[in-house]
Amino acid sequence: MSQQEQIYLTPMPVRIWHWLNAFGIVTLCITGAQIRFPEFVNLFGTYKAAIRLHNTAGVVVSISFGLWLFYYLFIARTLAKIYIPSLDDLKEGLFRQGVYYFFAYFFGYPNPHEATPDNKFNPLQKAAYLMIMLVLLPLVIASGILLMNVDPLRGWIILLGGLKLLVGSHFLIACMFCAFLFTHIYLATLGHTPFAHFKPMWTGWEKVEHSGEQK
Amino acid sequence: MCNARYLLLLCLLAGITGLSDAARAAHNESCLGCHGEKAIVNRGGSRLYLDPARFAGTSHAVIGCNSCHAKVAASHPADGIRPSRASCRDCHAPVQQEYGNSLHADKADCVDCHNPHAARNHATVSGRDINEQCAKCHEHGQIVGSHAKWLPQTSLHLDALPCITCHTGSQNYYITMYITIKGNDSPTGDFRLATHEELARIAPGRQFVALLDSNGDGKISLQELRKFNKGAADMRLWGMMMPEVMTHSFQILDNRWDCTFCHSSGPKAMQTSYLAIPEKDGRYNRLTVEKGAILDLLYGTPDFYMMGATRSHTLSVIGLMIIGGGLLMPIGHGTLRFLTRKNRKEH
Repeated sequence: MSQQEQIYLTPMPVRIWHWLNAFGIVTLCITGAQIRFPEFVNLFGTYKAAIRLHNTAGVVVSISFGLWLFYYLFIARTLAKIYIPSLDDLKEGLFRQGVYYFFAYFFGYPNPHEATPDNKFNPLQKAAYLMIMLVLLPLVIASGILLMNVDPLRGWIILLGGLKLLVGSHFLIACMFCAFLFTHIYLATLGHTPFAHFKPMWTGWEKVEHSGEQK
Repeated sequence: MCNARYLLLLCLLAGITGLSDAARAAHNESCLGCHGEKAIVNRGGSRLYLDPARFAGTSHAVIGCNSCHAKVAASHPADGIRPSRASCRDCHAPVQQEYGNSLHADKADCVDCHNPHAARNHATVSGRDINEQCAKCHEHGQIVGSHAKWLPQTSLHLDALPCITCHTGSQNYYITMYITIKGNDSPTGDFRLATHEELARIAPGRQFVALLDSNGDGKISLQELRKFNKGAADMRLWGMMMPEVMTHSFQILDNRWDCTFCHSSGPKAMQTSYLAIPEKDGRYNRLTVEKGAILDLLYGTPDFYMMGATRSHTLSVIGLMIIGGGLLMPIGHGTLRFLTRKNRKEH
């Protein structure tokens, strides 16, 4: 017999960051497509409008990333606990979670990971978010800042290998974000109902089901 | 077409004057004996002096001094008579007519922009040389300010474009790359356009040309370009977007307000490029670069990228494959999820 419990999983600052980040990244992907392929994509009227919106969304995402980092480092102080996989996660957790997603899930077995405020993410999520938030996002922000200021920062761009290398890296990382977006949204529908994981990201509260055996 | 016309005109003029090359050169030498010496400035002002090295590189040197200054008496300068001076219109009538109809005509005469003793063909000058002419009247700060009202990354644009690329009637453009050299020891030091003397110091004589054109065939292949870009630490190539046709119809073209005029011109428009080598007399010798080199993924032109237009096709395909990879999860997993939905209901 299962029991339902409501837990406060996502505090308000994190929710605000998440949605700012989400809308920012979607905007960046679409405007970025127009900037790179202007002959094929024209959703924002003029090329200049796409660039301005892209730059604005970039600044919003950068500020939102700064707030996220500040919150987890100095206010919640749970960055390491929530985002860095433990030794157990690396040894068994990643495999266990992978088996669940790609095998056990289809046979109806329950998710081996139960979210708690201190352990929100399963090992695969931890590994993916760590890569996204602490490697790819800082890289795409740094390359974006350089690309927004090519003339004043030309010396730095040359030091890093040139404008083409920078643009190429920015583009490929952006494609990774776009790919992540599809996977992220899809995986979010794998809760006990398709919207079970979306609601707590809006309200903060998540319903958690405990099966009798598990208890 | 335009160049061919001028060449014909030059030949005609040379024929009309009835002088052989040797005689013309001797006549030029005779004039430059006084007018090529700086001491003449003390005798009659700076207008009397002309730089022999710069004059030698002009097409006016080919037709000879007496083509424009026909009435120079044998008693010159003792007679005190100022020699006659041809009008630009005498040879360049179509250009003057075109210029006369432009917005610029009331503002400056031909000689305000073109010193006839230093005027060069557009293919032998750098974009910065061209902009220096404009900067005689149009103050740089003011130009940056007025363009910054609508043009993102104004300094970058103005640094990579001669003014005439947008403000004359050329409908197409090509990319010319110039060698820049590191100005100081800082790791992020500024790079500026290299002079012939600076390059000659790096590789004496004209050996520096071999740094670029390693097989000496007078053309730059993509492989040679890559080799230079990988190996020359303190030298970089700076690309400028030059107008394909030189016109004097100075104007503010409506389509240049639209960024897509350049940025969505697409990789097909980015096939032609040149590499300009500075010569001793200040001219640039233009070498043809392999078609499409400007689009090379990384090492062809590492510092030249025009958003949209010079994107790499290979990189776009890799990027789309990454995005496609992201769709595999919803599509593949989603399909299996749908097919196995009964299993989860049972649990």
